[in-house]
Parts: sequence; C-alpha cells; structure tokens
Amino acid sequence: MLAKDQAAIVGIGWTAFSRDSGASAMTLAAEASFKAIEDAGLAPRDIDGVTSWFHGHADGVHPRELGLAMNLDCPFELYVDSGGHWLCGAVLAAASLVVSGVCRHVLLYAARNRYSEGRARRPARDSVAAGPDQFRLPFGEHLAATTFALPATAHMARFGTTTLDFAHLAVTQRKHATLNQKAQMRKPITVEDHQTSRWISYPYRLLDCCQQTDGGVAIVVTSAERARDLRHAPVYLMAGVAGEGDTRALWETNGVNLAPRLYGAAGITPRDVSFAELYDPFTGMCLLHMEDFGLVPKGEVGTWVTAGKNGLDGETPVNTHGGLLSEGHLLGLNHVVEAVQQLRPEGVRDDLCDGPHTYDRATCRQVRDPEIALLCGEGGSSAMLLRRG
Amino acid sequence: MPEATNRLGKPAPVPDPDTRPFWDACRERELRAQRCTRCGRFRWPPQGFCPACYAWEHDWVRLSGRGTVTAFSVVHHSTAPAFKDELPYVVALIALDGTGDRVTITSNVVGCPWEAVAVGMPVEVVFTAISTEAMLPQFRPAAQG
Repeated sequence: MLAKDQAAIVGIGWTAFSRDSGASAMTLAAEASFKAIEDAGLAPRDIDGVTSWFHGHADGVHPRELGLAMNLDCPFELYVDSGGHWLCGAVLAAASLVVSGVCRHVLLYAARNRYSEGRARRPARDSVAAGPDQFRLPFGEHLAATTFALPATAHMARFGTTTLDFAHLAVTQRKHATLNQKAQMRKPITVEDHQTSRWISYPYRLLDCCQQTDGGVAIVVTSAERARDLRHAPVYLMAGVAGEGDTRALWETNGVNLAPRLYGAAGITPRDVSFAELYDPFTGMCLLHMEDFGLVPKGEVGTWVTAGKNGLDGETPVNTHGGLLSEGHLLGLNHVVEAVQQLRPEGVRDDLCDGPHTYDRATCRQVRDPEIALLCGEGGSSAMLLRRG
Repeated sequence: MPEATNRLGKPAPVPDPDTRPFWDACRERELRAQRCTRCGRFRWPPQGFCPACYAWEHDWVRLSGRGTVTAFSVVHHSTAPAFKDELPYVVALIALDGTGDRVTITSNVVGCPWEAVAVGMPVEVVFTAISTEAMLPQFRPAAQG
C-alpha cells in the first residue's frame, strides 16, 4: 500500500466535450495538459513524468508523442494498454512515481476523438476473433452494452432489480449534468423518456448507455510536500488500489475484493464517504459499483436510487457531474476532475452559480462541505479515496 | 490460415495452442472442457495450467452439452453488418453441467423467442457451422425430461 496522504492532485484541465472536436487527439491532449499544468501553477518543463492509458486498438496519444510535442525535459513515460478498469490505477501509478522520488510532477491525461473517429474503427476491430475475443465475437458480443448487460440481468434475477431502477439513476445523473457547463447532455430527461427510449442490448435502452466523446482531460500529481506550495489547495490521495481478482457471483464486481483493502488502507468506512464518482458506462454497472463499495447493502441499490439517495443532497451523492452517462466519457478521468473540483475550498467552477455556491439545485451542483470522495474504475477493478486538503 | 470470416462476414474464432482442442471438438459436434488431472478442477477459458494447483497436466472431458442460463442480453442494435439480419438475438452466459460450476461460456440461445429466455433456463447445445473451418456451440431450450 502507498502510505496515506503522501501524494496530491494539484492541477486539473479539460477541453470542450463534443461529438466533433475538429481537432487531432494530440491537440486535445495538449490543450487539456497545458490547462492542468497552468492550473497547478507550474510550467510545462516542470513536468518530468507523463502517463496515459487506452486500448492499443483505439484512438489515443502515447505519452512519448505528447512529451515530445510539448518539448518536455526527458520525462519518465508510462503507457498502459487498458480501458476504464485502469482509471484509479493510473492515478495510483502517478502517485507512486512522485512518492518514490522517480518524478516530481506527473502529468496524467486521457484524450481521444471517440465519437468522430473511434466509431468508424469499430468494424475492423470487431472482425478478428482471436485471443479472448474468440469466445465473444463469433457469438455477436461486440457491444460493451452486451458485455455489461450480463451482470445486470444476473442482478435483476437475483435481487429483483428492474429497468425502472435504471431509469431513476439515469434521470438523477442527467439532473446533475444540467448543472454542468461542460456536460454533453444537458437536457433534462424523465423516467418515461428512459422507459420509451429504444433498446440497445436488453436490459439496456439508449438512456442506459454512456456518451461517446471527443475531448481531453488532464491532471497533475505531485508529492504532498510539494503540493503545499502550489496554486490550489491540494487534494490528497488517501488510498488507492488496483488489480483483478476472482468474484463469487455474476452480480458482483471486483469491487467486493478491493473495497475492504481500500477502506482499510484509509482507516475509514463507507459511511465516511461524502460523495462518490463511480464508473458508469451503463446504468447497471454503476448500480453494482454502489453496492460493491458499500454505499448501500447488496441487493438494495434499486430502492436506494429510486429514493434519490444518490442525488446532490442525498445520502451519498454519486456522479455529481452527470458521469459517463451524461457528462461525457474520457475513460473516467473526468470523474477525477469532478472529485477534485468538489473537494477544493472554492468548489466546482463550471456549474451555473454566479459567485459563491448557493446549493440551489437550479444552478448549483456543489456538494455541501465534502471531505472524502470515493472513485472507482470499470468493474471495480481500481478504486481510490481522495481527501480535501 | 483459417478463414477469418464466413461468407456472411461473421468473425470466425481464431484458435490458438491453448484453445484449439475446444474448437476441434466442436467440429466433431462435441462440447469438451479442460480439467486438471492432478486436482480434478475444471477451468475456463482454456489455459496451459491449473489456476488452483498450478499443475500443467490436463485432459479434455466430453460434457453432456446441457447447461443453465446464468445471465443474458438481447442484442437489438449492432454495428456489425453480419449480425444485423439476426437482430434481435440473445447472447448468454451458460454454466455447463458436469463442471462443478467452473465452466461458464458465452454463447447464444436460439430456437425460441427472445422473450422466453430467462436466468435459470435449462438449455442444451446445438452446433452451427459458420464456415468450413468453424462450428459454433449454441444453445436451445432443453428438451423436457
């Protein structure tokens, strides 16, 4: 375990999120990175570590290319071929580099033209059924919506969860997105809109599925010691975990393996979590993550979200920016940006509040006095706790 | 080289040294699963060694072909041209009988309306040729008794 509170996130940056950026992925990566470095009060050549992750077959920019393009000073580079699973692992890796002394300031980014370019690459990607794909693609399992429908139907059969429960989650997250200037989807939706949207892959309808996004997001990670002298109040990494393990049941994610280690390392319980930003490529996966990280007892999440306990003034606000479902999909690094915004003393800066936060949910998405944020990656295969400085 | 796709453009499985015995058995219309010959544990997907006792010795056991749907999805939308004519179709996880709950494979449920598919449904294997090289194990509702 990395020692508690030894690393901090000190800079955040993002581009516009859209379906047609008109810019190269390199430009998106650089724009978000320059903004994050500026936000930290640093200069580009202060960065001596660069890391990112994306599937090798998808669009993305390798850290080596970005470091060269930005004329950085021989930064340590780390690229991981993975998807949303790796989200908190990426932050943990950046933190490890600064805590160990390998680097002083690490830039972590995610940038891609997923909508305008990535979609066109699908057919080629789906045509070769080798490796693990030999047991999926010949059977027509090529959509993520199908893959992640499987744990959802298992949960429905075991606990009586329904697609109406999914609807409440989608509606609440959209409500959050209406208070977010950078969200791709800001038009409110109703439960009926959800229930009448077309099927994609049962039990998922269109409004159960995340956005596909052109855009870039970046953060800067440094040691707790250096963080104190920078522009913004640091947001500390209390604890981080990442790694796959076997699960007992189809309705569980790897979160059941990681949650005890995560909370144990931080010395807290799920009750201490002020809000959570949980990986939500599909409504059903977000529900499983809520349970597996202990926000709600196993099997009770449908009732919980139907009662709005995940809303901004609920028991534990979840995906306060709208999540992958409504804000956009930058591999979940946008969840990290949201958590950092919520945990800074000045709070979120891209809601609709003019001046200080009012907590009026017609304009304000700032959570009240948050101390600790929980985040997780896809399938609960990475997770972390962030703490306000 | 095996055909990459069948005439409909569906991707055919590309066997590798670990998985070839499974696909070869399918061509003989047999469903087989890998079992450790030291500790007796079944495993999936195929791999060279046992994840429980790390022994490399194993055999390929012929199964009854019966199983149970443990999760499923009904695919209504596809970006793959070869599957568009078949929409909607069912992708399911099938826990195979006789494997001590260790082998659950992804497949399709065919031969019944998609509305009839449910978790817990008993099914049995049916083999479908998708190319001269490849035979897919799919499943239909199990015959009564």
